Amino acid sequence: MASAILRSSLRTALRGGSRPNPASKRSFSSGASAEEEAREAAKWEKITYAGIAGCTILAVVNLSKGHPHFDEPPPYPYLHIRNKEFPWGPDGLFEVKEHH
Amino acid sequence: MIESQRHSYHLVDPSPWPISGSLGALATTVGGVMYMHSFQGGATLLSLGLIFILYTMFVWWRDVLRESTLEGHHTKVVQLGPRYGFILFIVSEVMFLFALFRASSHSSLAPTVEIGGIWPPKGIAVLDPREIPFLNTLIPLSSGAAVTWAHHAILAGKEKRAVYALVATVSLALVFTAFQGMEYYQAPSTISDSIYGSTFFLATGFHGFHVIIGTLFSIICGIRQYLGHLTKEHHVGFEAAAWYWHFVDVVRLFPFVSIYWWGGI
Repeated sequence: MASAILRSSLRTALRGGSRPNPASKRSFSSGASAEEEAREAAKWEKITYAGIAGCTILAVVNLSKGHPHFDEPPPYPYLHIRNKEFPWGPDGLFEVKEHH
Repeated sequence: MIESQRHSYHLVDPSPWPISGSLGALATTVGGVMYMHSFQGGATLLSLGLIFILYTMFVWWRDVLRESTLEGHHTKVVQLGPRYGFILFIVSEVMFLFALFRASSHSSLAPTVEIGGIWPPKGIAVLDPREIPFLNTLIPLSSGAAVTWAHHAILAGKEKRAVYALVATVSLALVFTAFQGMEYYQAPSTISDSIYGSTFFLATGFHGFHVIIGTLFSIICGIRQYLGHLTKEHHVGFEAAAWYWHFVDVVRLFPFVSIYWWGGI
């Protein structure tokens, strides 16, 4: 292990120091510097907080409205289609409704 | 081993997981058909198949993570494989969801006489798109901003901030799923109510399923970031999760505009 490290560092030195190897660049990336990335991170952090604030306000507004009520439609043949029973019983998974 | 290797490719070891995954898929399919036709033992076979697939996923990905982190097999050139593979996977997902939205457009652009010649069909009440549907479009978009924050934090070498950003991503995703569950529970129609219910719940349900997959993917990335698996230079798993998450939040715009909004007025 130690000899391998020695060998590889010797090879690097012979090649002319730590020349940037084109293969070490991340593919699919813009190659921005760490400072630029930190600035971008700070910008998107702010956008995230703005999004969370907006969503929280909208959620409070929506939840305070209470849930909507709908009248029972006439029994048209294309509503509540049943060709055979579900494996788990007569009702669909989201069909159990509160009636009030 | 590594010292004698004079190329940068990963020659994989023989693995039992492809065949175990195939057997799990076979049991799931046969069990699923048996269950849906109320055969005896169908539910048992289906559950066993799903457990088998979940186990295979766990151990297979565990092996990949070990090959990547511990054994260092994922060189620059090896990383290209999963990248291109994942891009192609997302392209196939776009086509899959496009088919579901197209089914909705096909049924709503020229509604048949059997449903009253109108859209939404006669007798179908719809949700107000300005309420939960709009909120549930804004939440994934904010979550997309959070995953971008996480990405830049990783590239800037701010490990802790990246974990916080992923916690924000996942939290917003869970809130989305909670609201979607509430919406389904309160919805005036079900999947068995006309072509409207069929297309609405197929499209929004599959989108919701993709949100759940993306949430799990982001949770795994958050744990791996916390454990220090992801570095500035090497975080293919995170990149795939971020691409997937952007795909899921952009795709949400299509059902919102065409199914909830245009299809609800």
